Amino acid sequence: MTDRKVILSVKDLVVKFKLRGKVLTAIREASLDLYEGESLAIVGESGSGKTVLTKTFMGLLDANGWIDSGSIIYNNQDLAKFRTEDDWVKIRGKHIAMVFQDPMTSLNPLKTIGKQVQEAVELHQGLKKDKAKNAVLEILNDVGISDPEKRYNQYPHEFSGGMRQRVVIAIAIACRPKILICDEPTTALDVTIQAQILGLLKALKKKYNLTTIYITHDLGVVANVADRIAVMYAGDIIEIGTSEEVFYNPQHPYTWALLSSLPQLGVKGEPLHSIKGTPPNLFLEIKGDAFAPRNPKALKIDFIEKPPYFTVSPTHKAKTWLLDPRAPKVEPPESIKKLRQQWRVENV
Amino acid sequence: MVKYTIKRLLQSIITLFIIITVVFLLMRLMPEEGYFGSGYEKLDEAQREAILTSMGLRDPIHIQLWNFYKGLLKGDLGTSIIYRPKVPVAEILKSKIPYSVSFGLAAMGISLFAGVSLGIVMARSKSKFWDKLGTGYIVFINAVPAAVYYLFLQLYITDIFKLPILFNPDKPSSWILPAISMSLGGTASYAMWMRRYMVDELNKDYVRLARAKGLRDKKIMVRHVFRNAFVPMAQYLPTSLLFTISGSIYIESLYSIPGMGGLLVDAIQRQDNPLVQALVLIYSSIGIIGLFLGDILMAVFDPRINLQKKEGAR
Amino acid sequence: MSNKKFDKVADSINESLFEFAEYDDEAAKRAGYSNYSYWRSTWKVFMQNKVAVFLLGLIVVLLTFTLIQPYLPNQKEPTKIYIDENTKMQLRNHPPDSEFWFGTNSIGQDLWARIWSGTRTSLLIGIVVSLWEALVGIIVGALWGYVRALDRLITEIYNVINNIPTTIILILLTYIMRPSLITMIFAMCMTGWLGMARFVRNLIVIIRDREYNLASRCLGTPTRRIITRNLLPYLVSVIMLRMALAIPAAIGYEVFLTYIGLGLPVSIPSLGNLINEGRALMMVPSLRYQLIFPAIVLSIITISFYVMGNAFADAADPRNHV
Repeated sequence: MTDRKVILSVKDLVVKFKLRGKVLTAIREASLDLYEGESLAIVGESGSGKTVLTKTFMGLLDANGWIDSGSIIYNNQDLAKFRTEDDWVKIRGKHIAMVFQDPMTSLNPLKTIGKQVQEAVELHQGLKKDKAKNAVLEILNDVGISDPEKRYNQYPHEFSGGMRQRVVIAIAIACRPKILICDEPTTALDVTIQAQILGLLKALKKKYNLTTIYITHDLGVVANVADRIAVMYAGDIIEIGTSEEVFYNPQHPYTWALLSSLPQLGVKGEPLHSIKGTPPNLFLEIKGDAFAPRNPKALKIDFIEKPPYFTVSPTHKAKTWLLDPRAPKVEPPESIKKLRQQWRVENV
Repeated sequence: MVKYTIKRLLQSIITLFIIITVVFLLMRLMPEEGYFGSGYEKLDEAQREAILTSMGLRDPIHIQLWNFYKGLLKGDLGTSIIYRPKVPVAEILKSKIPYSVSFGLAAMGISLFAGVSLGIVMARSKSKFWDKLGTGYIVFINAVPAAVYYLFLQLYITDIFKLPILFNPDKPSSWILPAISMSLGGTASYAMWMRRYMVDELNKDYVRLARAKGLRDKKIMVRHVFRNAFVPMAQYLPTSLLFTISGSIYIESLYSIPGMGGLLVDAIQRQDNPLVQALVLIYSSIGIIGLFLGDILMAVFDPRINLQKKEGAR
Repeated sequence: MSNKKFDKVADSINESLFEFAEYDDEAAKRAGYSNYSYWRSTWKVFMQNKVAVFLLGLIVVLLTFTLIQPYLPNQKEPTKIYIDENTKMQLRNHPPDSEFWFGTNSIGQDLWARIWSGTRTSLLIGIVVSLWEALVGIIVGALWGYVRALDRLITEIYNVINNIPTTIILILLTYIMRPSLITMIFAMCMTGWLGMARFVRNLIVIIRDREYNLASRCLGTPTRRIITRNLLPYLVSVIMLRMALAIPAAIGYEVFLTYIGLGLPVSIPSLGNLINEGRALMMVPSLRYQLIFPAIVLSIITISFYVMGNAFADAADPRNHV
């Protein structure tokens, strides 16, 4: 794993927003290394900052947001320092592309989908007119849209949700990016369609040699597609590791809580587990570990000092004081222990 | 598309029918003097009755209505009594319409161009200089009654630019100020709508996707946003046009333009009932016709409206 | 984070800090609490709009002045014709001076008094009409929205009336009923309530169908509370907006009708009349003041109400709240 190249490196990124006269810190010193060819999933609740983080990679932050400090290194350039449209236009699409959440509104209702895909083709593949149209038809085929000739001239409202999402994916692929970010690509779709879209994304990743980032709050999706998982809470990546490591050997209390709340881990007849309290108010400065107030097993230091990354394995680290040698030994909840046992059984 | 047009056409015709009937009935309440001109006092009761009966005004209401529609289909809008005695209204209108139409078209053209441009500039410079300036302009035009600023324009601009004060068909420069004055209101409206719709569109998801594709903002404005923002505006255009053509009442009297708007003022002042009736009916119908045309225009631009099963964008 | 920094931090950490902290249930929930009050936020946002606040002050001053003007010392009557002591002639077209602050008009009446009297008349029309609009508009709108059986019928009526231009209806009614103060108020009332009714009706329909209201009902919220918490804030702000805008509109229509010749009789001074009178003389530069003064007063009033009404509507929109 470690001999794979790092193509995107985020270090101590801080992103702030000005909202109604007050300043909100959406990303609080997050760090992340993206390896070439991998499939990374970023998991977290609504408001944890997953989408904001990936928006900074493409300069798509809302007008009232800015990068306060930190760096995003891609291709020997620091994207965090980009200021003008000229800078970003070189990255968007061509290097990094995004598939958005809601296919209903992501497409221009007054333009045929053929034209919309062709726009991307003409922009990034340097083809014109007929050659471009042929490329479009080919891509439509790739994403599983049957009868592309006919579909080319149709409008978005003539497509179903799943088909529209395929079109959005087609547009992203047409840009021939190196990195593809999928922001909750299946959340707005039926369960049956979800599997199809995920399968499609996996196939496309292989075919075009993409590095993919999945943003989701659905752990089921994660289990399906991800090599590595990054867990986000309150604007920071608090645990990151391979899928196996995070699922079967989680270290951060938040990850424990998150996994415990999975209905699949519930025991019949017993109440489902839920995490008490609500995420912190990001308008206020947070001291220490952001999850501490909701953690029954928090240490005093959790309220004072923000934990750094502690290494669990060469590929697995977590920001929790529990991993400090001086910390008391804390047992994860029952459900997590069961997961661990299950893994050991299956793998030994 | 055809089905939709026919459906709207039928709807409009029915509403038109209702409007004409209602207005016609209302007109039966007009003061009687309006049918007599200067001779009203000189006639006694019996003579007045005789004249009213001969005009069909003493017939039962449904007979009057029926006769009216019969005449309407023949193109008979009544005969003027006071303004131009014994001259059919239709003929009077014929000489007035060309002026109103020409000024209307000129004003519409100016306001559309100026308004849409201003709206775009305002949307792009949101909350900055041009937006504030444009907003100030729109506020002024909307708040202050047109009569007031038309007056001041006539007063001071003619002085500054040495333009003729009254309209003269032989002097081309006398066309300028009335046309521009007429366009001020339209400019304000179009600018306001254009800005609003563009700002709405700019917040939409598909714009985000276009940026993510790597398109430059300028291209997005032109290719996606402008066209999308223009569509909801299209429905207002025919109505605006028709009303502008029907002649601004103020402008025409201010500049002594012999158009339809001025005609209404005269008719009222001289109490020429048949003329007032005809004009009121015409103005009432214009609204419906404009609305119908506006819907059709929208359907042309917006593919979503074409299919009967899907809901319209309105 | 470099290792050096970490070591420094690590060294300075006291061992005792690695003990368990007390778990506070309340603290877990506290993070999300907000102290939001709709009306307070509305007021706050409105106050931030300096222009609107200024104009609000201006209107208050103007209104008070208009009302108390006749009772101030040295004020003249608006309809009294003033005779020059020496020549025994009417003091016609006297330019502004220390006695007649705005000068006199073409038959010797004091323009200052006439303008304020005219303002009173115009404001009266505007306020009466807007109150009527509010009253009838809300009642009709509510019925229209609630009673499903009436919906179809009233919608058809609305369509017919709405398509006839307001100016035409006003002209028609005034023509038929002969111009007078009552006629004018009547005619404007007849056309004004439509817009308000439509607004209210739309709101009511939305109220019924919006999910958060269904949710409120499911939770057992009493209807009264749904009305006061969900419906009323919208209603009041919409009403106030329309009332504020109704005044410039009424003045506009009044000027329009006067222009055509269907305005108030000359014995009742109104801004429309004054403008019309001024218009007759505007070609003579020395007499232009008779047009300019009423025009300025009228502009100040209409612009102030318009801007204030819109500013309040913006402030009442929850999306702009702090």
